[in-house]
Amino acid sequence: MISYSHFILNNGLKVYVHEDHSTPIAAVNILYNVGSRDEDENKTGFAHLFEHLMFGGSKNIASYDTPLQRVGGENNAFTSPDITNYYITLPSVNLETAFWLESDRMLSLSFDPKVLEVQQKVVIEEFKQRYLNQPYGDVWLKLRPLAYTTHSYRWATIGKEISHIENATMDDVREFFYKHYLPNNAVMVVAGNVTLEQVKQLSKKWFEPIPAGNVTPRNLPQEPRQMVARFLETNAKVPLDAVYKVFHTPARYADNFNAIDLASDILGRSKSSRLYNKLVKENPLFNSVNAYVTASLDPGLLVIQGNLNNGVSIEEGDAAIQEVLNEFLSQPVDEDELTKVKNQAESTLVFSEVELLNRAMNLAVAANAGDPESVNQETEKIQSVNAEQLSTSIKDVLRPENCSTLYYRSEA
Amino acid sequence: MTIDILDRSITPAFQTIQEVFIPAVKNVTLSNGLPLHIINVGEQPIIKLELIFNAGNWFEDNKGASFFTTKMLNEGTSSHNSASISQFFDQYGAFTEFTHSVDRASFVLYGLSKHLGQLLPMVQEILQDSIFPQKELDTIKKIQQQTIQVNKEKTSFVANQKIRNSIFGENHPYGINLTQEVIESITRENLVKYYQSHWQNQPFRVFLSGKITDQEIELVNNILGSIPVGNTHNINYDYTDNGIDTTAFLIEKENALQSSVRLGKQLFTRSHPDYFNMLVVNEILGGYFGSRLMKNIREEKGLTYGIGSNVVPFSKSGYFIVGTDVKKEFTQLTIDEIVKEIQILRTELVSEEELTTVRNYMSGAFAGSLNTPFEIADRYKVIMSEQLPLDFYQQYFQHIQQVTSEDILATAQKHLDPTSLIEVAVGGK
Repeated sequence: MISYSHFILNNGLKVYVHEDHSTPIAAVNILYNVGSRDEDENKTGFAHLFEHLMFGGSKNIASYDTPLQRVGGENNAFTSPDITNYYITLPSVNLETAFWLESDRMLSLSFDPKVLEVQQKVVIEEFKQRYLNQPYGDVWLKLRPLAYTTHSYRWATIGKEISHIENATMDDVREFFYKHYLPNNAVMVVAGNVTLEQVKQLSKKWFEPIPAGNVTPRNLPQEPRQMVARFLETNAKVPLDAVYKVFHTPARYADNFNAIDLASDILGRSKSSRLYNKLVKENPLFNSVNAYVTASLDPGLLVIQGNLNNGVSIEEGDAAIQEVLNEFLSQPVDEDELTKVKNQAESTLVFSEVELLNRAMNLAVAANAGDPESVNQETEKIQSVNAEQLSTSIKDVLRPENCSTLYYRSEA
Repeated sequence: MTIDILDRSITPAFQTIQEVFIPAVKNVTLSNGLPLHIINVGEQPIIKLELIFNAGNWFEDNKGASFFTTKMLNEGTSSHNSASISQFFDQYGAFTEFTHSVDRASFVLYGLSKHLGQLLPMVQEILQDSIFPQKELDTIKKIQQQTIQVNKEKTSFVANQKIRNSIFGENHPYGINLTQEVIESITRENLVKYYQSHWQNQPFRVFLSGKITDQEIELVNNILGSIPVGNTHNINYDYTDNGIDTTAFLIEKENALQSSVRLGKQLFTRSHPDYFNMLVVNEILGGYFGSRLMKNIREEKGLTYGIGSNVVPFSKSGYFIVGTDVKKEFTQLTIDEIVKEIQILRTELVSEEELTTVRNYMSGAFAGSLNTPFEIADRYKVIMSEQLPLDFYQQYFQHIQQVTSEDILATAQKHLDPTSLIEVAVGGK
């Protein structure tokens, strides 16, 4: 249970305050409602590159990091297909430093060409380190365009290709900033050893003078219902063959999302899951196998992935997964099994609220999606899923024609 | 009415935190004499139970025995098979971890407080009655062998292994790698023997953190306090490290797009008089985002996504390491720049401004790392397991406040002679 108060500044910035006076720390989390799904298909990877530029100095402050470190603060950020999220933790006595830094970069960046030039290189090395120089690192670069034909989820947040990052210009940077980095396109959560009055006063002082802008309503082409199974095969220098199967699911806050989330847990969350028991333990075809959902704001994916044991063909592994799915579809869900995954989900939720910063992020994510209170309704939503609803949901999602399969073959 | 014009170029006033409050630990002795350490913090109705054993690489006669014993504890007892043990913990939404390190091994249980009473009997069963079924061992060996096959393709993994065994020696517990041969040679008998001598009825330390009331303490005492615990068998394990002479290694990987670079040397334990100073030296060099290496290699030159250095303390020794993954053609440049930055630390006094930033950053980061019952328990775990003074972290905090530029210079001169560093590059030059 996360308690919070709420107010909106004249420029449209939504502010949420979660007080916790048991800690000497404050967390400031600012979520901008922009992600890689908002990119131009010829300039992919830009939202993430932009996140790097946010640390390269703002209008009145040459360095973002040093002044924060000087007051004992830490910060970081991440970009996803849906959002870009920036967060700070610092001693609560120095809360104002966070307001000073975050408001100045919301006001305007420095737009320093040297910063762009260096961060392009840094991001290209990140692209290589995480996606190209790792076994199976490029899987999502291949899976996304297979699963999505129309929606902008068809490219990965890091970008489709390195050239898109190389070609980014300062004009692109300015345009992106003034289009998306607006107070009325952001949510701020201030949490920890702070008071509502203090946050109100600081917010008015530092953030209210920032002018609101025109937020272009998001109008992304939605993915059509998949009616034909898709298939792709690829080779790489990896030691084990791997198989990936992805199915379109409801969006994160849609009605049947929780049922599908639980279904993925039944299939492949832990060592007592069906896929693990049947395909790693009982009949050891796989070295590892698991299932999860991407939980994105537009309709996402249920993912099943497994690495095959040496000597087992991908085709045999794929057929074995399909058999587990068929059994799941044909028989009603076992009540004990449903209770088990509900307890796992509930427990995960409670543990996710131990850390102050996580509470701040959870609240920001819920508020950005339209309903901050949903952060406190999750347990109830999980518990209300029944076996019948789950069976209906999986019949729609686990249809064979809703599946995209990738065979990732080991090159001898 | 006056209108305040906000001057955004002026830094708001700030305070340096002068002290840090670490919630106290409550120590209880269980009926069988085992120590229970309680950290009662937080509002969420959760618990973390950690049982720490004198196990780990340091204590094994057969390479890999400790690792596989720990990994297989939940693979079967006389009354429950692997699947039903997993099923048991999962049905309560509990999570288990069987962690294994060079100095010790742990059984960790996370769960909602309301389930503790139901969960404990299975914990006891695993501690007293694991049977290490051959079939499960075969599966786990196979999984582990294939995992190694995958890891061998990662330049960073290969580089980390190479630097560790170059620093400590290939047969030293701190330098040992789990190789295909080691895995192949492990037998069920090795595990049973290791279990009997290091887990079953052996003394262990209990940490209970979260929202803890007398009820949870009583439950733990009823079950874990009832385990008959013998005296620890006093084998005095001793190893001489057999690190190699200072040198440079290049492992070519034709298909790699980047090189993983590591520079390192053996250091010392937390009890060494220079330990705190070395932590500050490390922070300045490569310990945080604003460090000299990050500024030089990433923020000025754009050669890497990240670069960092670390001081890693073990029970009997420790090591220092600098690591990064860089564009292949800049491997030598990066190594030269790392050495250059180390030389600057050894020849020039760090400015008061930089030292203030690092001091405040380290103090703030430390204060911010005590937010959850689990983080606090981890601090006490170090203190108790390493037999450090109870105010060890207060000492650390005080030390950071007082450290001088001269201390930094002297420490870098003493411990970071570049000729004493071993260099590893995996990828190419």
